[in-house]
Amino acid sequence: MVGFNFKSMYTIAKKEFMDNIRSKWIIAISIIFIILTIAASYFAGGQAGGEEIFGGMEETVVSLIGIATLLIPLIAILLGFSTIAGEAETGALFVVLSYPVKRVEVLLGKFLGLGSVLAVTPLIGFGLSGIVIAATVGAEESLAFLAFIALAIVLGLMYLSLIIMISALCKTRVRAIAGGIILFFWGMIYGMIAAGILFATGVNFFELMTPGSTVTIPDWFFASVVFSPGDLNQMAVMSAFDLDQVMGISIEAPEWMNMNFLLVVHFIWIIVPLILAYYFFKRRDI
Amino acid sequence: MIEKTVMCPSCKNTITVQGNPGEKTYITCPNCNTKGVFTFPVAKPELTSAAPSAIEVHGLTKIYDGLRATDNVSFNVRTGEIFGFLGPNGAGKTTTIKAILGLIHMNSGVIRINGFDIISNSINSRKNVGYLPERVSFYENLTPLQTLNFFCELRGADKSIAPSLIKEVGLEDAIDRKVGTFSKGMVQLLGVAQVMIGNPSVYILDEPVAGLDARWVKIIREKIKMLNEKGATIFFSSHILSEVESICDRVVIINKGKLIAEDTVDNLNKYLRIKPRLEIYIPGLNGKIPEETEAIEGVEAVDVKDDTLIITCEPTVKGDIITALQNAGFKIVNIKTIEPSLEDAFVKLIEGDV
Repeated sequence: MVGFNFKSMYTIAKKEFMDNIRSKWIIAISIIFIILTIAASYFAGGQAGGEEIFGGMEETVVSLIGIATLLIPLIAILLGFSTIAGEAETGALFVVLSYPVKRVEVLLGKFLGLGSVLAVTPLIGFGLSGIVIAATVGAEESLAFLAFIALAIVLGLMYLSLIIMISALCKTRVRAIAGGIILFFWGMIYGMIAAGILFATGVNFFELMTPGSTVTIPDWFFASVVFSPGDLNQMAVMSAFDLDQVMGISIEAPEWMNMNFLLVVHFIWIIVPLILAYYFFKRRDI
Repeated sequence: MIEKTVMCPSCKNTITVQGNPGEKTYITCPNCNTKGVFTFPVAKPELTSAAPSAIEVHGLTKIYDGLRATDNVSFNVRTGEIFGFLGPNGAGKTTTIKAILGLIHMNSGVIRINGFDIISNSINSRKNVGYLPERVSFYENLTPLQTLNFFCELRGADKSIAPSLIKEVGLEDAIDRKVGTFSKGMVQLLGVAQVMIGNPSVYILDEPVAGLDARWVKIIREKIKMLNEKGATIFFSSHILSEVESICDRVVIINKGKLIAEDTVDNLNKYLRIKPRLEIYIPGLNGKIPEETEAIEGVEAVDVKDDTLIITCEPTVKGDIITALQNAGFKIVNIKTIEPSLEDAFVKLIEGDV
């Protein structure tokens, strides 16, 4: 890129980090996140302690995935929804863009700065829960657990990229909030829609739910996760932990849906919205 | 060598003194022996059309939803001048300013700052510009010092000036507070500190004193003058004419997206032929217009309000009016001359009365 100034980008990123790391909303959700993850990792520890009511590593990972897919998109959306639409409305962007900086530097600086804030929560939350698990169950799964933390951050970056795109497109802060809510619920309901289609097309729900059943899930169902960053991410996490069944149900994905493929799709979910965000931001009247 | 007539403050005697610009002379009044000091004013460099332009706007048109926010607006701000950009609210002032800074995309037009095209040379065009928007806002969770440090880094300016800038705008007591807790006026003052980062050569101020109390209005006016004396070009917008009149070298007036005048304040008044008004207080007049005044050549209009006679006339016939009134037996108690203000010019222009 001609004349791209890394120092300007870094300055913007640093400002975004310093400003947002102190945001009370982000702090509140992060605390909830950390409490939940530590509680969930205790499930894994409980089994090691011989208590029957607790599950094993599998259940722990599933509950950690649940927490991550709920709260990390929420943090990303809260961090990003007003970063362009809101700042253009209040006037903070006027001053920044009157300085000798390019919009691409501002955009990437925002992505990196907000992305760093986003990374702090899963690093602390899952880091602590990793220590709890290592202390109680053992450190056999530590590599997969590190991959899990990295994937949680990547999940946040996908949502961040999407919400920045929405913020660059929406004229007002209120519309950007609406866009953020739609984005959040898309992740929440996508799995249900896909499952609905699955059962409507002949797979018997009760047979599938019977432990040890031989009903196979068709390939398209697995392939459909590429349309939802959250589901895509869950797939990658399960693949990292080599989980091929959850609560007795076989969830063995087709051969071609390996980690490399999943990572490429993750990458596309980050890059494409960011390019679109630049396109909208560049054309925008501030 | 310049010659100035000064008036003794105690006995109103006038004397003429000579000296060089910037020189101080000690004067002793020959009449009452009062002593005083007079400093000869420093002449501003002559502003000619040949001077390089700090801001050039050619044919700026911006259309929002089919509405022409600015319509073929062109003007030049010469290097070193204080340039007033006037117009009522919604006239297109902020749109023009945002177009100059490249915040909005124009439908047509060419704009240069310090000779750099704002589109093909956008980074250079903004290197030496300080901008204070009408509605300024910063980052809630940063302190004023962190905010200014950020902008220093962004401009590549020395960060060590940030604390002194905060002091200069009177925010030193709030230096550790988050900007999110600031009042509107305090945020505006932080904006003023921000605009001076890196000593820009061109200042673009959008309604700089709107929302500030009288004390700060005065301080900011003085700051504008001081920056200008140091050589900076100041372009500022306002919808309040008295703000502009006393400190601007030239003004343009915009209304409904179109420029309706560009000139010096003096010329604008002359061009519009707005004449001074004479207010004469005659007790017992009771709303009657003395016939004598209307007969005088050079008198344009005569109005009366209770005991005050309001006469619009050529400046040269003021004496004739007084004489005529006295000869007719009227007892004049007080006389006031109201000089034409830009306000008058403004109203006249907007009404399309030219």
